[in-house]
Amino acid sequence: MTDKTNRDMPAVQADGRRKIKNDIIFIAVLLVAVSLIGLCVFLIRGEGDSVTVTVDGKAYGTYRLSDDVRVEIRTGDGGEHVNVLVIKDGKAYIESADCPDGICASHRAIHREGESIVCLPHKVVVTVISSDKNAPDVVV
Amino acid sequence: MKKKNRWAFFLVVACVLLPMMALCSCEKTKEKFTTYSFDYFDTVTTIIGYESDKEEFDKVSGYILSELGDYHKLFTVYNRYEGMENLCTVNDIVDGAHRTVKVDERIIDMLIYARQMYEKTNGKLNVAMGSVLSIWHGYRQEGEKNPAKAELPPMDKLLAAADHTDISNMVIDTENCTVTLTDPQMTLDVGAIAKGYAVEMVARSLKEKGISGYVINVGGNVRTVGAKPDLEAWSVGIENPDEDGSDYIAYLNLTDMSLVTSGSYQRYYFVDGEKYHHIIDPETLMPAQRYTSVSIVCESSALGDALSTALFCMTLEEGKALVESLDGVEALWLTNDGNIHRSSGFSKYEN
Repeated sequence: MTDKTNRDMPAVQADGRRKIKNDIIFIAVLLVAVSLIGLCVFLIRGEGDSVTVTVDGKAYGTYRLSDDVRVEIRTGDGGEHVNVLVIKDGKAYIESADCPDGICASHRAIHREGESIVCLPHKVVVTVISSDKNAPDVVV
Repeated sequence: MKKKNRWAFFLVVACVLLPMMALCSCEKTKEKFTTYSFDYFDTVTTIIGYESDKEEFDKVSGYILSELGDYHKLFTVYNRYEGMENLCTVNDIVDGAHRTVKVDERIIDMLIYARQMYEKTNGKLNVAMGSVLSIWHGYRQEGEKNPAKAELPPMDKLLAAADHTDISNMVIDTENCTVTLTDPQMTLDVGAIAKGYAVEMVARSLKEKGISGYVINVGGNVRTVGAKPDLEAWSVGIENPDEDGSDYIAYLNLTDMSLVTSGSYQRYYFVDGEKYHHIIDPETLMPAQRYTSVSIVCESSALGDALSTALFCMTLEEGKALVESLDGVEALWLTNDGNIHRSSGFSKYEN
């Protein structure tokens, strides 16, 4: 019994080394595959941050924070009301509005996920959509 | 030969299994959906939820909104609805007095809760302050319509109204489900508690239905229902209204908890260039002056709503004493000079 074990030992060790070598190669292949998938996900999602505008809950438009733009958000039955959305230097703010309280226009510029500017009288919401995993879900 | 077989096995794993795994996890991943509504409580309602498809999210958010709509109709003091008694009709005067009004059980439950909150906050949360608050409401609306002519309510008018804010004149008969305001000049205004109460009731009914992975935010009353997928807590930031300051004054991780923030920047109007916000101190009858915002973290959004308003009208010492006396309640104060104060256990919710 003891003899048999001794005789087999070298063979077992050699096979073990080969197994370890194969496992290392296997892990390397795995890492490459995972990083390829990660790269694909990054390329698909990496569209940069943007703001979406909704009016009374309905989508109005989406604008990239990397573009400097000025958008007149028209509301009311005949589009008689306006909130002027400005995106500049990666931040969005309401430059002016003809709503009665003017609270939206005095709101600080927003740029992080979850941040939003609300105009209650015109039912306008401007919200930042971002790919940043660490950004909050809700901001109050 | 054996070696080749091993390689073939690895190749199969790498080329077939890995992409398949990735595909499966993509299919199982729930997507984040958001919807907004301006229909209720004179503010914006935001619903965020994780679902595998839009249809399911629309079903749940539709249910949440219809429930909130029911509470809105019951608790509003500004609108009446045909064939329905609500707080607006409780406030009605008929032949020089308020009627005894048979109301929905949900109104009775909320008013009883409001009375408990009056006791708990030493009168800082008083739903019988309708006479005073309606004066402020009227002047604010006029001021918004015509900013050049915006005025403050005259103090003698406010003082006269304040004589009719005794909550013991709100008589509730739980057996017959009726409310009677025995002071004809007294009216109810539940603005400081109705939103939070309604959100809490809806959140509980979601839990009963086994629905999870949602956040309901009605004008700063944030209630998380369950965690996000993978049991991750919701991250909630408290806005820093100061443009030059940091992005957030606090950043919290919440699961099945509420965060309610009362802020002087949420609703206000200007008189002669001065800002006057909407949280009226029952003692001074003027907008409470000490803080920019007060945030409460606790399980119940109803409690959070009541306490955030009450603490807004208290000194820091009074507020801290109250919060420390309550189980499972934490608070954060942002004072007008930009200082942040936390109750003893607040930081356990922070990153």
